[in-house]
Amino acid sequence: MGRRVSRPGPLTSLALMLYPPAWRERYGDEVHALLEEAGSGPATVASLAVRAVPAWMNPPRHLHDRGARMRASVGTVLVAWSALTGVGAVFVQLTQLQGFRAPGHPLIQWCYLIFDAALAVSVLTAAVGGVPLWLQMVHLARQQRRGRELTWLWMAVVVPAGYMAAALTALTVVHDPEASGSWWFAGFAVLGFAAAGLASAGPAVALNRLAPEGPAVALAAAAAGLAAATVTLAGLASAIAAAGLCLWATSFAGYHHADLAWAYLLVVVAVAATATVSGGRGIRATFAIAAR
Amino acid sequence: MTNRLDRWADPPLLVLASLADEPKHGYAILRDVAETMSVRLTAGTLYAVIARLEAVGLIEPLASADRRRPYQITAAGRAALAEQTARMGRVASIAQARLGERYGWAGA
Repeated sequence: MGRRVSRPGPLTSLALMLYPPAWRERYGDEVHALLEEAGSGPATVASLAVRAVPAWMNPPRHLHDRGARMRASVGTVLVAWSALTGVGAVFVQLTQLQGFRAPGHPLIQWCYLIFDAALAVSVLTAAVGGVPLWLQMVHLARQQRRGRELTWLWMAVVVPAGYMAAALTALTVVHDPEASGSWWFAGFAVLGFAAAGLASAGPAVALNRLAPEGPAVALAAAAAGLAAATVTLAGLASAIAAAGLCLWATSFAGYHHADLAWAYLLVVVAVAATATVSGGRGIRATFAIAAR
Repeated sequence: MTNRLDRWADPPLLVLASLADEPKHGYAILRDVAETMSVRLTAGTLYAVIARLEAVGLIEPLASADRRRPYQITAAGRAALAEQTARMGRVASIAQARLGERYGWAGA
C-alpha cells in the first residue's frame, strides 16, 4: 500500500522549533516523517506547541548531556549576570554614590541594603566559581594551541581593564563632566554595557568551543546558579527601589521620569528571569552529576 | 463512537499496549491506537510519551533505514504493562460485577 505523504506546514515546523535542541535532534526527523503521513492541522500544531513546555522544564533524562547543560548554563548566566551587574552599577551611581541618603519610604532603604548585600555576595560567588574554570580553560587553550579561544578568554580581563582605563583617562582630561550634562554619564553607561557584553561573551564562547570538563565546570555551574539567584534578588530590590522612588520621592535623582523606571524594571525582570531559569537548570545538572 | 471517559485514557499505557505485539514506528502506533483502542493521540502527545518511556527504559528505539524509527517494548516495559493491565483488569471485574449485581448489566 502506497503511503500518503504531505509536507508539514510552516506552523508545524515553527511549533517544532519551540523544542529544546537536543529534543529536536533526537525526535525532530521522526515527528516530521510522522506528520508527512498523518497530516497536520491546527490541533497538531497546538499539541506540539503545548508539549514543548514540559520538554524544556523537565527534559527527558536520556537526552540530557549534563556537561553541555552545565556549560550552557554557565555561559548564559555569565552574560545575564554581567547585564544585571551593569544595570546595578548604573542604579548605584544614580542613587547611592552621589552623597544622597536613601529618601522617602523605609521600603526604599531596605531595598538599598538588600541590593548592596546581594550584589556583593553575587560578585564574590561569581569570582569564586568562575576563576578556577577560567584558569582551566586558559591552560587547555595553551595546551591545545588554540589562539582564538585564548583571545576570547583574555577578553574577560582586557576589555574591562581597557574600559576602566578609558573612563579614568576621560575623567582626567575632562575636568568637569557634570558641566556637559548627562551625556557623559550616558556615554559611560553605554560603553560600559558594551564592555560587559564583550567581557562576558568572550569566556562564554571559549567555554562552548573548548568544552572543558571536571570539577571546575561543576563548581562554576553551582556558583552560576547562586550568583544568578543573588543578582536576581539585587535586581529585583533595585527595581522595587526605583519604583518606590517614582512613587514616594519623585524629586530625587531624576526619578520623576516614571517611564524610565518602568523600562528599567522590565529589563531587570527579563534578564533576571533568564539568569534564574538557566542557573536553575545548571544547578540541577550539577547535582544530577554529583548524585550519580 | 468514542466514550467521554476516553479523556482519562493513559497515553503511556496505550503506547505500551500498542508495542506489545511487535515494534512500530510513530505513525503505526497512532493508527494502531486509533483503530484498536479508539483513542486518537496527537503527534505532540505521542512523542512526549515516547520520550518519557524511552527515558525510563520501558521502550527502546531500533535501527532504522529511514526517518521512521521503530520502537520496541523492553522487558521492563512488558512487566510494567502486565502489572498495570492486571490492576485494570481487577478494577474492570469489580466494576462489572457491581453493575451486574445492582443494575443487571451484563457487560458489552
